[in-house]
Amino acid sequence: MRLLLVEDHVPLADELISTLGRQGYAIDWLTDGRDAIHQGATEPYDLIVLDLGLPGVPGLEVLQKWRSGGLSTPVLILTARASWAERIEGLKAGADDYLTKPFHPEELQLRIQALLRRVRGLVNQPKLEAAGLHLDEGRQCVSRGEEDIQLTAAEFRLLRYFMLHPGQILSKSHLAEHLYDGENERDSNVIEVHVNHLRRKLGRAVVETRRGQGYRFAGTGE
Amino acid sequence: MRSIQRRLSLGLISVLLIIGLVLAQTSLWLFEVGLQRYLESGLRNESELLLVALVRGPDGLQLDEHRLSPGYQRPYSGHYFRIDFDQGHWRSRSLWDLELPHPGQPGLHADLALEKTDQSLLLLHTDYRKFGQTISITVAQDYTPVRDSFALVQRIGLGLGLMALILILVLQRVTVRRALRPLERAREQIFQLQQGQRSQLDERVPVELEPLVAQINHLLAHTEDSLKRSRNALGNLGHALKTPLAVLMSLAEGDKLAGHPHVRETLRDQLHHIQQRLERELNRARLSGDALPGARFDCAAEIPGLFSTLRMIHGEHLELSSEIGAGLFLPWDREDILELLGNVMDNACKWADSHVSLTIAKGADGYCLLIDDDGPGIPVHHRDEVIGRGNRLDEQVTGHGLGLGIVKDIVEAWGGRIQLLDSPMGGLQVRIDLPERLSPQLPGTESTRQLS
Repeated sequence: MRLLLVEDHVPLADELISTLGRQGYAIDWLTDGRDAIHQGATEPYDLIVLDLGLPGVPGLEVLQKWRSGGLSTPVLILTARASWAERIEGLKAGADDYLTKPFHPEELQLRIQALLRRVRGLVNQPKLEAAGLHLDEGRQCVSRGEEDIQLTAAEFRLLRYFMLHPGQILSKSHLAEHLYDGENERDSNVIEVHVNHLRRKLGRAVVETRRGQGYRFAGTGE
Repeated sequence: MRSIQRRLSLGLISVLLIIGLVLAQTSLWLFEVGLQRYLESGLRNESELLLVALVRGPDGLQLDEHRLSPGYQRPYSGHYFRIDFDQGHWRSRSLWDLELPHPGQPGLHADLALEKTDQSLLLLHTDYRKFGQTISITVAQDYTPVRDSFALVQRIGLGLGLMALILILVLQRVTVRRALRPLERAREQIFQLQQGQRSQLDERVPVELEPLVAQINHLLAHTEDSLKRSRNALGNLGHALKTPLAVLMSLAEGDKLAGHPHVRETLRDQLHHIQQRLERELNRARLSGDALPGARFDCAAEIPGLFSTLRMIHGEHLELSSEIGAGLFLPWDREDILELLGNVMDNACKWADSHVSLTIAKGADGYCLLIDDDGPGIPVHHRDEVIGRGNRLDEQVTGHGLGLGIVKDIVEAWGGRIQLLDSPMGGLQVRIDLPERLSPQLPGTESTRQLS
C-alpha cells in the first residue's frame, strides 16, 4: 500500500511516517500544497492523508483540484479544525474520511485500514478476509482456519495488497509502484522473492503466475 | 416610549384648540365691541332727537309727541327712554309700568336687564343742559336679538371649528403615517432580522433614516466579520496547539517509551486532559450565541450535507431519516446549529443499532428538536450524570461525554432546554427545546401596529 502524506508540521510527519511505516505502508511525504496537487494526481497512490492547514495552497483547495481533475484516490483529511461545519465542507470537497487532531496513532491506522477496505467494497470488519485467509493487520500475521502463520514485514505488505485486490491480475511493476515509496529502488526481482516466500508459507496455489501478465491472488481455493 | 404618532396628535390637538378658541373668542369680542359702537351712535342720535323734541311749553318743559318715533309708543317694543330733569321725569310709553335701570355714570352700558322681561338692554345715558337746567336722557334698546344671533354665530363657529379640527387631525394622521412609513418598514425589517429572515436592512430609506440604517448595517457586517475573524483565529490557535499535541500523543504511544510504562501512563493522562479541555474551550469560544441577529440555518439546504457526513463517518448501514417542516429556517448561526446537530446526531449514530431519526418542528413559542435512536439508551438514573449541571468533563461518561457537553453549552447559551427521554424507537431520545428568538425590547407586531 502506497500512501501520500501531505503535512507541513515536520515532527508530526516524522512520527506518522515511522508509525505508518511500521504498519507496512510505503509513504511519500510532501509539505507544500502546490507539490501535492501535482504529485497526488500523477503517482498511483492507494490513499492520501491530507492536512488542511498547508502552506502554498490550502488543503481544501488541493482536494478540490484533485477531484475536479478526476482523481478518485481515497483522501483522509487530517486537521485541527474540528467543527462540524468544517467537517461537512471537507467531505463536500470530496474527502472520504475526516480525522481531527490530536488523534491516537492507532485511530489513524484503523481509519486508513477501514478506508482502504471500504474503497475496495469490503465490509468493515476487524480482520481482512479473502479466500479463506484472515489477515490481522495489527499483529501482522495471517491465519488459515485455526493455524496462525507469522509473516515478515515485506510479506505482510505484499499479502495485504493481494488480499485487497483478490482475483485481479497485478503486474510486477504495478506491485512495485504500490508497495514502495518514491525514493526506494523498485526491483521487480524483490517482488518475485517475496511471492515465493508467501507460496512457501501458504501453499503454492495462493498466488498464481500469469505468464507475461503478472500475479493473481487465488487464496487457498475454497 | 410612546409612539411618535400619538405625540404628534396630542401636540397638534392642544395647539389647535388653544389657538382656535383664543382667535374665535377675540374676534367675536372685537366684533361685538364694533357693533356696540355702531348701535351707540344710533342711540346718541335717538337721545339728541329726544332733546330736540323737548320744548318749552306754557307750563314748563314739554315733550313734542309728534317728533317721537312710534317705537316709544308700543309697549315693550324694545325702544325705551327716560328723561330726568329738575321738576320730575318722563318715561316712554313703551316701558309701560316698568322701571328702566338707572346707571350712575353717563355713557354706554350694556347687559342691563329690564325687570320682568328677558330683554337685555343696551343703554346710553347722557347729560345735557337746555333751557338753563340739567336734563339727563337715557335711551335704551333691546339687545337680545343681537345677542341671540351672536350665540348662533358662536355655535356655528364652534361646529365649523370642530369639523376643521377633525379634518386636520385625519389629514395629519395620514401625512404622519405616510412620513413614518419608512420607519415602520425599518422596524419590520429589524423584526425580520431577529427572526433570521434577512441579514441586512434595506438601504433605500429617506435621508433622515439613512445614517441609522447604514450604521445598523455596518454594525451587522462588523459583527459578522469579527465573528468570522475570531473563529479563524481560534482555528489557527487550535491548529497550532493540536498539531504538536498529536505529535506528543503519537510519541506517547510509540516504542521509545515501552520501557517506561509509568511515564507513558502519565503522559497519556495529561495529554488526554489537555485535549479535552482544549476541545471544549475552543468549541465554546466559537459559539456565536446571540451576537448576530441576521443569522439563520436553512434546514433543507444543510441537513443533507450533515447526513452524508454522518453516513461517511458511521458507515452506510445506518439508516438516517429526518422529519422537517417544509421551508423551515432556524434563526441561529449556521455553524452553531451544525455543531449542535452534528454532536447529538454523532452520539446517536455511535449508539444506534440501525436507525437514527431527526425531527425539527416549530411550535407556538419556539422550536423542538428530537433526535431518536434505536440503541441501548441510557438508564434513567444515569441520564442526569450525562447532562447534569456542573459536571466536569473528565467525570462524564465516555462517548456521551464531550459531544453532549458542547451541546449543553450551545443550548444554554440560547436559553433552551435539553432532556434525555425514552425514544419510541427503543433507544434514547434527546429532546432540545429552543425558545423563539425575540429581543425583549421589540414588542410583537400587533401591539405596535395599534400605536401607529
